[in-house]
Amino acid sequence: MTNVNCDQLIDYLNGTLNEQEQKQFEAHLAECPECRDIVDATGELPYLAEPVQPDAGMKARILDAVFDEGEQDASETPAPKRERTVPPVAVPKRGFRTSKWTPLVAAALLVSLLGNAYAFYELSDQPDAPTAPEVAFETVDLQASETFEGTGTAALVHEEGALNLLVQANQLQPTSGDQVYQVWLLKDGKPIPTGAFTPSQENEGAVFFSLEEDTEGWDTIAVTLEPNRGNTAPLGEVVLSAAIEPEA
Amino acid sequence: MEKISDALLYERVKGKDKEALEELYDRYEKMLYSYLCKMTGDRDLAEEALQEVFVKVWRGIGSYDESKGKFVAWLVTMSRNSAVDLIRKQKKPSVPLDEIAEVESTDSSVEETAEWQEKSDQIHQAVRHLSEEQQKMVQLFYFKGYTHETIAEKCGIPLGTVKSRIRLALKKLKTSLQAVQEGGVLDDKREL
Repeated sequence: MTNVNCDQLIDYLNGTLNEQEQKQFEAHLAECPECRDIVDATGELPYLAEPVQPDAGMKARILDAVFDEGEQDASETPAPKRERTVPPVAVPKRGFRTSKWTPLVAAALLVSLLGNAYAFYELSDQPDAPTAPEVAFETVDLQASETFEGTGTAALVHEEGALNLLVQANQLQPTSGDQVYQVWLLKDGKPIPTGAFTPSQENEGAVFFSLEEDTEGWDTIAVTLEPNRGNTAPLGEVVLSAAIEPEA
Repeated sequence: MEKISDALLYERVKGKDKEALEELYDRYEKMLYSYLCKMTGDRDLAEEALQEVFVKVWRGIGSYDESKGKFVAWLVTMSRNSAVDLIRKQKKPSVPLDEIAEVESTDSSVEETAEWQEKSDQIHQAVRHLSEEQQKMVQLFYFKGYTHETIAEKCGIPLGTVKSRIRLALKKLKTSLQAVQEGGVLDDKREL
């Protein structure tokens, strides 16, 4: 140790210096290569732990919280409107329950839903015009995992107590054996299965799912490649995922 | 294209660049989360601690610059201290030393990246050059969520002694780590 300040290194790492001491020690750190080297070495300590894979929804949960909190406290500019949401729109009530759609039908349905949303938005002066019944609509682009080449889109339609979910994906890797692409909705990191599909010869796939209970509060949508159909919790790798807006 | 340095990304974060924060998050999510899981023995608590760290980064609490050493070391210090606070607030007993192995990931399908493996080999090798006492200090301070005061109390050693032992342990760790990273032979006589 070359400097009396070096004695404070452990207090600094322990976060127990007061504001003034902290400033003084940071000034010391800038001048003392030995202390700085020791600090740098602590940056490698996490690799003593075994790697733990975060669940698919963690990133979205954390970043949403970070940016929300930041905006509340900073109170600078108002939060920019999220591009992925569109105002509530009127969508004709559809009577279907869980059912599989061919990619073509799904694509047409998606385009029609998007078209409705867009047209409504264009016509309406106010996003929340009183004529809109209790239907909320959201589309989101699914993000591919690092090793996955495919792309996907999800549309969520809340209408009269039901949540309809349409997922469509392209450029999928072909499945083998009993493998299926399984869609999940997650709430606070807990998943429920919401339909599965296998890709067509064109490597496209889609599924429509309708939830009539527990329709609120879902924060993440994910697609995994499961070894078989019918799993109640994901066993396979997440290939596509996105954060969604939990309904208030 | 060369990877943007952490320090530059942090500069952009200070200008409220969300993408820069996301990039930093992606770089260190798994590393910090794994560390926090091991320290807290609880995935939820680890996530809460990690969230606190990034809230602080975003809000510019405890501002970083390169004179304070590597960015990742700064993140690790914040992560440790967040977890220590959370463990204390929840009065959750930290993980007993002999149960730490149980925190290990049960997800065997997770493929460790080559980088993780290399870093992990290096730090494990470096730690093996510490004395048993020094290893214990690192373990208690960084992996069991103990403050130096708690260590002093539990081990019945004066606080000043604990601090200098942790410092010596970290100093030796740094020297061993540098030697391992440079592929050099460790000269134990040179140490301490």
